[in-house]
Amino acid sequence: MSFVIATTIAEAVAAMASGARPIAGGTDLVVGARHGKAALPQHLVAIDRIEALLVVHDTADGVTIGSGVSHSVLESHPLLASAYSGLADASALVGSPSTRNLGTIGGNIMNASPAMDTGAPLLVLGAQVELQSMRGSRRVPLSELWTGPGRTSAAPDELCVMVHIPTPLVRSGSAYLRLEYRRAMEIAVVGAAACVVLDEDGFVVSASVALTAVAPTIIMVDGLHSLAGANVPEAAVRVGVLAAGQATPISDVRASAQYRRHTVGVMARRAVEAAARRAAGDIVAIPLNRAIGIGAAS
Amino acid sequence: MTATTTAITTSPPRFVRADGPDKVTGSGRYTADLSLTGVLAAKFRYANIGHARIVRLDVTAARAMPGVFAVLTADDVPDVRFGPFVQDRTLFARDVVRFEGEIVAAVAAVNAVVAQRAVDAIVVEYEPLPVINDIEAALSVESALVHPDWQSYGAADALVRDRNDASFASITKGDVGAGMAAADHIIESRYVADGCHAVPIEPRAVVAQWEGNKVTIWTTTQVPFDARAGVCETLQLPTNRVRIIVPHLGGGFGGKCGFHYEAHIAALARVAKRPVRLVFTRREEFIAPDRRRESIVFNIETGVLDDGTITARRAWLAMDNGAYTADAAFFSQLAAMHTAGPYRIPNVQVEAHLVYTNHQPSGSVRAPTAPQACWALESHTDEVAAAVGIDPVEFRRRNAVDTGAVGPSGQTYGEIGLQQCIDLAAGGAGYGQPLPDDEAIGVAIGWWPSFSVPSGAYIKIDGDGAGQIITGAQECGTGSVMTLRDLAADELGMKPEDFELVYQDTAVAPYDMGATGSQTLLNNGRAVIAAAGQVAEQLKKLAADHLEAAEADIVLADGHAYVAGTPATTVSLVELAGIAAGGQLLIGHGSSTPAEAPPLAGSSCVGDLGMAAFVAPQFSCHAVRVKLDRDTGVARVLHVSAAHDSGIIINPIGAHGQVEGAVMMGIGQALSEGTTYDDQARQRNAALLEYKLQTCADAPPILVQFVEIFTPDAGPRGAKGLAEAPNIATAAAISNALAKLIGRPVRQLPMTAERVWNTIQGDAS
Amino acid sequence: MTDSTTASGTFDVTLDVNGIAYPVHIEQDRNLLSVIRGEVGLTGTKEGCDDCECGACMVLLDGRPVNSCSYLAVQAQGRAITTIEGVMTGDDLHPLQQALLDEGGVQCGFCTPGMIMSAMALLADNPSPSEEQVRIGLSGNLCRCTGYTRIVAAVQRAAAVPHA
Repeated sequence: MSFVIATTIAEAVAAMASGARPIAGGTDLVVGARHGKAALPQHLVAIDRIEALLVVHDTADGVTIGSGVSHSVLESHPLLASAYSGLADASALVGSPSTRNLGTIGGNIMNASPAMDTGAPLLVLGAQVELQSMRGSRRVPLSELWTGPGRTSAAPDELCVMVHIPTPLVRSGSAYLRLEYRRAMEIAVVGAAACVVLDEDGFVVSASVALTAVAPTIIMVDGLHSLAGANVPEAAVRVGVLAAGQATPISDVRASAQYRRHTVGVMARRAVEAAARRAAGDIVAIPLNRAIGIGAAS
Repeated sequence: MTATTTAITTSPPRFVRADGPDKVTGSGRYTADLSLTGVLAAKFRYANIGHARIVRLDVTAARAMPGVFAVLTADDVPDVRFGPFVQDRTLFARDVVRFEGEIVAAVAAVNAVVAQRAVDAIVVEYEPLPVINDIEAALSVESALVHPDWQSYGAADALVRDRNDASFASITKGDVGAGMAAADHIIESRYVADGCHAVPIEPRAVVAQWEGNKVTIWTTTQVPFDARAGVCETLQLPTNRVRIIVPHLGGGFGGKCGFHYEAHIAALARVAKRPVRLVFTRREEFIAPDRRRESIVFNIETGVLDDGTITARRAWLAMDNGAYTADAAFFSQLAAMHTAGPYRIPNVQVEAHLVYTNHQPSGSVRAPTAPQACWALESHTDEVAAAVGIDPVEFRRRNAVDTGAVGPSGQTYGEIGLQQCIDLAAGGAGYGQPLPDDEAIGVAIGWWPSFSVPSGAYIKIDGDGAGQIITGAQECGTGSVMTLRDLAADELGMKPEDFELVYQDTAVAPYDMGATGSQTLLNNGRAVIAAAGQVAEQLKKLAADHLEAAEADIVLADGHAYVAGTPATTVSLVELAGIAAGGQLLIGHGSSTPAEAPPLAGSSCVGDLGMAAFVAPQFSCHAVRVKLDRDTGVARVLHVSAAHDSGIIINPIGAHGQVEGAVMMGIGQALSEGTTYDDQARQRNAALLEYKLQTCADAPPILVQFVEIFTPDAGPRGAKGLAEAPNIATAAAISNALAKLIGRPVRQLPMTAERVWNTIQGDAS
Repeated sequence: MTDSTTASGTFDVTLDVNGIAYPVHIEQDRNLLSVIRGEVGLTGTKEGCDDCECGACMVLLDGRPVNSCSYLAVQAQGRAITTIEGVMTGDDLHPLQQALLDEGGVQCGFCTPGMIMSAMALLADNPSPSEEQVRIGLSGNLCRCTGYTRIVAAVQRAAAVPHA
């Protein structure tokens, strides 16, 4: 049994090469262990004190976010709020202030829950993760990372070190919205993120939309290329229909499949509307859920 | 009470609780904070199955484990069936388990990890029995029985029982058939309320320690004397060998009423010959205690004239008793009263059944049966008002009871403030003002009895003038016990800070019913005033001697005794206390005398447990503004306007706090709090992520207004109870707001987003 | 790098709680709450759910709010832990404590310590929060007694009190 507090990435990946599992805030790991989801690993390496993982860099081709950056940093970061609003919307909704303080973007991604809030916005923003191990490093698009609930294509010795998001196109905007039964301490019943690009006349150039908690992983909505040239209200309605049609939700104690299928369509429609407003230069406060009122009501 | 005329009647605007500093600094000790040398950890083995026969129970391996000091089953404790109304349960399951949280065995071990391993090592094999999961089906003659031996159980004489029906009650007044025949409209409604939970933030904990043949039990009970009685009954001990002490109690809301695990832990400690401590997990807190708010099915029918006059009401309701009968036996009559409602109705016929199922037992949670019944009745009332085209608030003004009116059970009310409550609540909500089309204001009225019961207290003042109030009363957070200092101080011309409270200890104080039934200030307040009155007499006598004046002329004020009319002729109470310390000690004792039940005329009650006559009834009206997202069914409460007649308000800050907290609890019951069961009668949402309390971010502004009417034969200074009443009308008012927005009521409680959305869909189709 | 390896599964760790160093000998999987209440012996921090859902166990870690029920104690070494017992200055109540008493924001008191810790973190970040910001800042702390009204008022009252 071991517990290592790493201060560099090299120390962390070395510990992982010898079988240690990374722990940042532990918000998923510790609660999960107690619920019997998975026992706490015998060998742990704490990565929350690695300075290199705590950075948010504005780069020439986008933004690079260290995997150890907490949701509370993400929700209030001026660059993210303005250019990557969907991610800030999501980060501001995670759990409670203490969860946002401890929980990290890397932990959220690698935990691979289909109900994670940051997943859908990262997907529509085209994010890639940088995985590092003693064997080297590689970049993986998020669309190829998640393979099922709680499962990723990363090897056990690979540490998620960075999240790269490309620079948004001009006249683009993003938004994330989730259905919630109360205004805090929630987990997404369903959610949707949208990234919308408009032309100079306000018509849709392209849109990408991802859905939360309606499939074994976060999923992208297919068939949105046909939205090119559509006006925003019409595009939003069509996205809502497509989203509801492509969702394959389960029934559980939080909601029935039928209700999830309907509401994910509503969330997708509203996410497109809000993303388009941001693309058009409107200021829509973060998080979108609280900006537009109850349970994501418009 | 004579006290009401002699007391200083202005309450101080500022009220700092005596226990406040303990609580804000973290120095206050709660039961789980206690530790004793050699203390062991207790864990229970639960049934984890809804209904089954135990075919094998083997604790040999558990007992043999190192670090395990005691493993108990039904064979290791006296064979006693107990229960406050029906003696239908035992400390440990015997032969049959009837709900998932039933205790099969208990373990005491060196620590919680070892105790849990021992629990897991207990071998239990079951033969499944039919699971009784539906209240209405359980009433059918074909239903399997939860208790095949029900007829052999001891039970209160007044109870009417039959098979799975543990308590039947009816209230009949006039001729309901004739009343319906005379009506222009008859409106029938069906509503179903799910069960829900009290959810105090402090989970239960119990610590027991034996010294010789006496046991001291520190526990998280709201009712220490009741807990003591339970230990004495099940372990067959006299009351003077069982001492119950309650450290600070982290909330109760009824959930910690009754007798729970004190006897199990005392029995473990006796066998282990070590102190034993139990601390519940949140999951245990959800599944095990016999204090869950009951699910109820309502069928309500009202006859009404075109002019809005109610001619008759008929109602049938069935409540989930769960697997054993806790204090829920009196709920049948209480729920019948709440389903009849605080209305002037000449012809009434209400029948209520309390039905055994394989669920966790029901028991008193803050105003038991009333929030659900009010929700059903008041939702129905809006349907009735709509049928005759009368505004719901106006409909209530015309039909609700008022001073001098006769209620549904034939009680004639003295001066009451329900009509004023309706005006204040509606006015405070801006009822009638234009609103956006996704917002509406719903209004509902409620009522609740005051419970007038015996209760006792002592007061002593020592030689330095420092006072102690030694009371049987229990503080669960409401501040009622804290307010006792103000009553004593006013009586004696002293300051509240001159008194320390000694409370929550059955060995030192006289009896009190506990923090239940909103009764603490009502009854113990009178006892404290009586005890203080005795001390006041002693002080006056001493002062009269000292000042060479007539006793009748002595006034106690500002820490002094003086002669009326000549304030310069004075002696400090500290000096008098010093004199008394050398002679006759300053000790007072007091107890409250229960008020007589008000008479009923023209009604007959079957299964009568005294709930049809409301002593000092409290009234309320809540008007709630709700916003609805019609696309998702998510509703949010934007504003609550609550008006209450709870008599004279003694502690304004505490009273506001009671209403605000109860309203939030009511919002949770309305929208997000409800227990769901799987087909094996196991709870599906026994965790705080899935059983959703309202958060600080959800809480709306709450306007609180009191109609203060001096109420005779009630509490001190004309006060009535308060802690439960504000929990009653909120969910109903929210329902009526939603019904306005949707066009029809949501017929299930809680009115979750999905249920609201389903109702909207039904409306559209 | 701090590297602790043990065959027994227990670790020697020093925790800084309210400015006092406590050497403790604990298992890897022990949560911070149980160590604060057990080995350290401070019981003001409460356990309400063991699940990050109620906030009764809130402490500050380097000034930031943490649900101590779900944080590994071994991970807290080298960080400053503040509990409710570390809030007073000498015999003087913190303005938040005083405001809770004055506003009637305390009933059963079980959520109170955690509520105070969250409020301290909030006010450290944002000395004059709006009512909405207070409500979001306290949204991880469940209170069943008060309906939150008087707690929110107390935080706003404390925010208005100048203090060091």
